[in-house]
Amino acid sequence: MNRRQLLSAAGACCAQALARQVHAQAAGTDYAAPHRFGRPDVATDEGGLWSMMDREERSLRRSPLVLRDEKLVSYVQDICCRLGSEHCPDIRAYVVRTPLFNANMAPNGMMQVWTGLLLRVENEAQLAAVLGHEIGHYLQRHSVERLRDAKSKSALAQVLGAFGAVGALGQLAVAASAFAYGREHEREADRIGAYLMHQAGYDVAESAKVWSNLLQEVKAREGGDPAQTASLFATHPAPPERQADLEQIAKSLPGGSTGDDAFAERTRRFLDDWLQDEVKRGQYAESLVLLTRHIDHGKARELMTYYRGEVHRLRGEAGDQALALADYQAAAASLDPPAAAFRGIGLISRQQGQRSEAVEALTHYLDLAPDAPDAAFIKTYLAELTS
Amino acid sequence: MNKLLCAILILALSACATVKKIESGDNLVGERLSVTLDGAWNRLDFPSIKPAQIWTMEGVTIDEFLIYSGIHDGQVMHPEGPIGGKQRNFAFHSAMQTEEIVSMFEGVLCRDNSTFKLLKLEPYQFGGKKGFRFEYERIRKVDNVQLRGVGFGAVDRGELFAMIYDAPRLTFFPRYQSKVEAIARTAVIKAS
Repeated sequence: MNRRQLLSAAGACCAQALARQVHAQAAGTDYAAPHRFGRPDVATDEGGLWSMMDREERSLRRSPLVLRDEKLVSYVQDICCRLGSEHCPDIRAYVVRTPLFNANMAPNGMMQVWTGLLLRVENEAQLAAVLGHEIGHYLQRHSVERLRDAKSKSALAQVLGAFGAVGALGQLAVAASAFAYGREHEREADRIGAYLMHQAGYDVAESAKVWSNLLQEVKAREGGDPAQTASLFATHPAPPERQADLEQIAKSLPGGSTGDDAFAERTRRFLDDWLQDEVKRGQYAESLVLLTRHIDHGKARELMTYYRGEVHRLRGEAGDQALALADYQAAAASLDPPAAAFRGIGLISRQQGQRSEAVEALTHYLDLAPDAPDAAFIKTYLAELTS
Repeated sequence: MNKLLCAILILALSACATVKKIESGDNLVGERLSVTLDGAWNRLDFPSIKPAQIWTMEGVTIDEFLIYSGIHDGQVMHPEGPIGGKQRNFAFHSAMQTEEIVSMFEGVLCRDNSTFKLLKLEPYQFGGKKGFRFEYERIRKVDNVQLRGVGFGAVDRGELFAMIYDAPRLTFFPRYQSKVEAIARTAVIKAS
């Protein structure tokens, strides 16, 4: 490349950057993050909030619900660092075993990521969208604003009266940092999150998909109205509006990667545990939407198909047994079949009076999983079926 | 947030719960389940625990002994309150297979987002009927305590009879497990 070509290329890059800047400003996505926060004076309300969050974090560190897998935790931490940039040293990520869609970041830098979120997102960019949103709250110190707002309300006095000042403030801090943002704060965090995603090299278009996917799940729930059935949607902008806003922002911040492979590689070995937790929620309609979406996208298809069979079997509505059997059979026919798929075939075949199919499947299950927790009970079924 | 809810729950329970001593000897739970106790237990009574009875040695924040007697077809387990909350209701159906009953209990015990891991499911003669016994471990979400548990059950004439005990795994579960196992052995499901 000669000097003229170099200057021409540089000029084109500048022009593109300038065009993006103009679009970004128009979409409200131009953002200058504040410098790292110093620890506030403990005598201030913000200092008190930090101290309480520190106590919460000490408790969280000891929790058996926190996943200790170094590779997974450092993977999530690295995403936070890519997004948080200069603030990376202040962010501490914890992966918490809870089967719900949630992540939250406290003002002291404690970031909690629930496994229900990791189960739901389809790639690294979607995870980055949620983490970037939470970092957006952190950078704008929204929880401090919420604390000050809450303090001014008469409800606080009632809580203080009931629990005493220390306990109430501690809990209020948790609430303020996790759940109580207003819609304006959420919109601002969306915009900042999108900007951070873009700066970190992620495809911002994935952020709108997070919300549309979640909305599909919530709509499937009994009751169906997201604002009524999910507290998340009660405090957040209406999902269609939010999705449209994020899609608009994404147009002004094009490019970036989705990180499908890296995300799949880091989370694959935890999926079985997370899916078990998901099924135990008993929110079968939501789980079916989630599992079908992942199956359609080819994510861990054999495992997702097996668990969809479990959901159908446990729901037990008209026609569910046939659907469960079809899923178990599909999972069992895969290259890497889960042992429990044969258990499912055996249990349903037994109920349908298909003795030989039941014996064959349950025997195969025990061959593959001789130490399964229910092995002793399955043997009694086999004894009945062969007697 | 969970701790706040827990505190509210404890206050609410203390406001409306009553405690009664269950004496040693023969005790009838519901209309058809009889157990014999070697030592007294405390029984708590508050609306949201139905259809179970809840007994405890140390207090319900430590150990819980849930006893279900004569749960009929379609009956919802703990339909409201602290165990139910806004989460899904689980109902017993008389056509349920053993593994489905255990899954129902898993769902009930996870309704507060606690974790549940089945350790063992085996056949067991409960109350004189062909039944089941299961062991599990659980991490209680509200306080992160690791629990161990054991359950027993059988279905007779389309009604479910069951007992579930859990307590912190290191001290309290080992302390009371043998008492609970002994109570399960004395259970009798009566004809009427």
